[in-house]
Amino acid sequence: MFRLVLRGVRAHLGRLILTLISVVVGVAFVSGSFVLADSLRTIFDQVSEDAFAGVDAQIRAVEGEINSSSADIARFSDDVIDVVADLPEAAYVEGGIFSFEKAYTIDAAGEVVRPTGPPVFTGSWDGPSPVSSFRIIDGAPPRGQQVVLDPVQATAGGFSVGDEITISLPTGDPERFTLSGTIDFGEGGTGGAYFILFDLPTTQRVLGLDGLVDSIVVAAADGVSPEQLVEAITPVLPDNLEAVTGDVVIGEQQESFGSFISIFGNVLLGFAVVVLFVSTFIIHNTFATLVGQRTRQFGLLRSIGASASQIRRMVLIEASGVGVAASVLGLLGGLGVASLLKQLFSAGGGEFPDGPLEIRSRTIIVVVIVGMVVTLVSALLPAIKAARVTPLEAFRSGGRRERSATFRVVSGSAVLAPGLVLMAIGMFGNAGGTASRLGVLGVGGALTFIGVSMLSAMFAGPVASAIGAPIARLRGVPGSIARGNASRNPQRTSATATALMIGLALISGVAVLTQSILDTFDEILSESISADLFIFESNQGLEFSGVLVDQLGAIDDVDQVSGFATIEVLIDGEPRSATGFDSSTGTSVVNMGVIDGTAEVGQDGIALLDDRASELGINVGDLVSVEFEDGYRTDLTVRGIFDDAAVVESDWLLDRELTRTHTITDDVAFIGLTYVDGADPIATRAAVEEVASAFPQLSVQDNTEFQEEAQGQIAQLQIVITGLLVLCLVVAFFGIVNTMALAVLERTREIGLLRAVGMTRRQLQSSVRWEAAIISLFGALLGVALGLLLGSAAVIAIPDSFVRTIGIPWGQLVAYIILGGILGVIAAWFPARRAARLDVLDAISTD
Amino acid sequence: MCWQTADMTATTPIIAAAAAVDAVKTYGSGDAAVTALDHVSVEFAPGKFTAIMGPSGSGKSTLMHCLAGLDELTSGEVTIGDTELSTLNDRQLTELRRTQVGFIFQSFNLIPTLTAEENIVLPLTLGGRKGDRQWIDTVIDTVGLRDRLSHRPNELSGGQQQRVAVARALASQPTIIFADEPTGNLDSNSGGEILAFMRRAVDEFGQTIVMVTHDANAAATADRILFLNDGQIVHDMSEPTADKVLDMMKSIGN
Repeated sequence: MFRLVLRGVRAHLGRLILTLISVVVGVAFVSGSFVLADSLRTIFDQVSEDAFAGVDAQIRAVEGEINSSSADIARFSDDVIDVVADLPEAAYVEGGIFSFEKAYTIDAAGEVVRPTGPPVFTGSWDGPSPVSSFRIIDGAPPRGQQVVLDPVQATAGGFSVGDEITISLPTGDPERFTLSGTIDFGEGGTGGAYFILFDLPTTQRVLGLDGLVDSIVVAAADGVSPEQLVEAITPVLPDNLEAVTGDVVIGEQQESFGSFISIFGNVLLGFAVVVLFVSTFIIHNTFATLVGQRTRQFGLLRSIGASASQIRRMVLIEASGVGVAASVLGLLGGLGVASLLKQLFSAGGGEFPDGPLEIRSRTIIVVVIVGMVVTLVSALLPAIKAARVTPLEAFRSGGRRERSATFRVVSGSAVLAPGLVLMAIGMFGNAGGTASRLGVLGVGGALTFIGVSMLSAMFAGPVASAIGAPIARLRGVPGSIARGNASRNPQRTSATATALMIGLALISGVAVLTQSILDTFDEILSESISADLFIFESNQGLEFSGVLVDQLGAIDDVDQVSGFATIEVLIDGEPRSATGFDSSTGTSVVNMGVIDGTAEVGQDGIALLDDRASELGINVGDLVSVEFEDGYRTDLTVRGIFDDAAVVESDWLLDRELTRTHTITDDVAFIGLTYVDGADPIATRAAVEEVASAFPQLSVQDNTEFQEEAQGQIAQLQIVITGLLVLCLVVAFFGIVNTMALAVLERTREIGLLRAVGMTRRQLQSSVRWEAAIISLFGALLGVALGLLLGSAAVIAIPDSFVRTIGIPWGQLVAYIILGGILGVIAAWFPARRAARLDVLDAISTD
Repeated sequence: MCWQTADMTATTPIIAAAAAVDAVKTYGSGDAAVTALDHVSVEFAPGKFTAIMGPSGSGKSTLMHCLAGLDELTSGEVTIGDTELSTLNDRQLTELRRTQVGFIFQSFNLIPTLTAEENIVLPLTLGGRKGDRQWIDTVIDTVGLRDRLSHRPNELSGGQQQRVAVARALASQPTIIFADEPTGNLDSNSGGEILAFMRRAVDEFGQTIVMVTHDANAAATADRILFLNDGQIVHDMSEPTADKVLDMMKSIGN
């Protein structure tokens, strides 16, 4: 029997290979996700170990209830350095301070030197030491008004050791420093990040953090273990500090890299699952057709003594073969996928550190299981159907029995109905957060796909016929034949179209979501923003020095100016994210939609979002207790309640004079300003840009530019997601090739007949291609319609603060439908050629 | 051979190779009901070659399908050897087809991906058996396929393909072989050959064969001919000749 399967596989090799490809694509993506994530984890584990190689203990601030406002970690007084240095257990002590996106080198042309993507670090380095992770490449460590840079940055800026270079600083006044040398991080490579390093006092001065450090690293004296060192240090530390061993630091570092990599890997896996989901339809379709074609053969085998389970096993063994082959190829393909993704991200500026690709045994096991399970599950129904073939089938000529229409309607509805219900729950349900609602929506969407796919066989005939009507009119006989063929086996038409449908549904769903985000954004801009100009860090939305607010206020033609700082505070004991803004001026820059009282809270007042107010039962005039990160606690009067948090992005508003006093750094997330009535906008803007140029990382934009930039960024995200979803289309493409090849094979005799009665090769080719086009258009139409549904559902499920208007990108959707048709025509290329090349006599005598 | 003793004891009660008792088969229900077999009772003696004739729709194919356990009777009984078929489940029926029944089809029905030899031994390999090699060699030589064994069906002529099918039916030494218009797709020369092989199988090996056919000459090679019309056996002819058959067919036609 095994030989029978083997021979069968050889006979249908071409078809099985096409099926194989669709499984391999999905499996390779799974394997690639694992390989990439594992490789990155190993590399970053090594980076963490290198960075803290000589560190026996680290002293740092105890994590408090309030995390500091910015991404910077909590800072503390550098007095501790001397205290620890006096301990006999400590051989070497070094305090350090680090920050990012605060200072930048400026090249000779006055342009800021910065990488796209990775951050620019500014920090302290006192030269090579037992605890330092930097290595000098060239020159000497920095002293006083000197700086060292990584070589990539030095080359990019055209700086040589000994040059005087200008560096922009968060104080607002750029300074000149001498480049004393170039450095390297750990064992080499900075992962694309730039480093600007001064000695400790200079770093403290330029960052405006005099007397502060964020970590102290210690090397133990000979014979002292890290644990003993930590034990010795702990008693001399103030309450807000703690000491941990180097291993603990490395572990934490690896864990934080690891969790980032896991998220990254899981996102990739998510796409892989979608691709596999699409593949199952293709595999199922191929096996269903193969079984259908061999009905008579199965009947024969049954009549000469094969049992039903032998037949079922035959089909499943064949499927296992495909599964095993797909797993092996997919595993290897995963290496390709991983290095391709690596290159893709590197091209995007995210330069990954070098390292070998890793295949762990876990990857092999998962990939083989996934490949086998997906293939076997897809082939299960066809196998069961094959086992149901009766021996009598051997006496019949051709003719496949189709499942009754009622069965399809009932089972299709049985899948579709819960799918739609789940989608509704995801959209309107209150339970759980956004993530779980989207999860429910996703499961509902998947069921809806399956349900629609099952039901689509019901209307595939008439719809394909309708789509084909204009083609039949335009293309004459080949068109009519194409139309007839596309609608004559509705089940196959719908099965083939399904893969394309899912791919395009996801892509157009993303398009709808993107358009909705953009529309929402436009709405927010027009409703909530009354500023003439906005100043912000456009790359990653990082905070910058609030010094600029006062500098801008000093410009003559600038009327109102307000900075907006995001900080963490405890309100009535609960940690909350709040916005500090210049409350006397801020309301003319941003419209918060005040519904009660005023947003001009003053230094002893606070305002909050209406949702929060009703949740907590707080009214205007009430007192709330607020505690800041420096430990200062005060009672503030509720001055107002507002309903539009779209711009300020937090539920609580405080005065910035109050918040800057009680935070270590006076940073803001963005600044908005208005011109004096009658001021020359061009001249005023030029003046603003002149002042802001001390912070080269910042963008100065008006509403229109702001909008365009956001559009650009969102469009880029859409391109990345769509790019990954295109894999679904690749799978769908092979599905169409497969179906058309099968159709041509099945109709060999008919094709011979058409040629015999005078159809030209060209006409024949054209009819096959149009048939594929009709099937694909059917899938594309369904897909785009489902995409509209899915995208709109997602918009409803996602909170209004993020997206609230459903925007439909008609142009894109129409383009996708046309793309679907074109895809079909290309997929039919080889089957059509094959059909045209058939020998007329041979074809007619085929039975 | 061993079966030839059957001839000598023909007058004493023996177990029939296959039999139908009061077999009724109706398709559909109510007004649309069609009676394909109308209370048919018949026995097929071992080692005999029986032909079944009748016009289209007379029930001859249905009778064969029911006798072979491929289709279920509406009422009545069918036995192969001493086994009553209605008591068997699918697994037992499969086992029965594998060991006791052989088929020869009008359209050859070979597996295109297997060689001639592999096709011949397929019923045995399906059951995980090797079979009697000597017997299989005898069969192969009888049908004259020795030099064609490694060929695929599409490399053989129609007559050769049907010879493979005959050999396949004989390979497992079944109790009874059912042949469904075995010469229907062949030219008269090849058809004659196939009939000769079937005749030899009966005469030399004592094989029991039941053949459905339209062809008077083919039917005349049999030991006995059953004529069916409207689901009933209308005539049971022994020692037929082509002329007798043609006369009978004419009378049924009228």
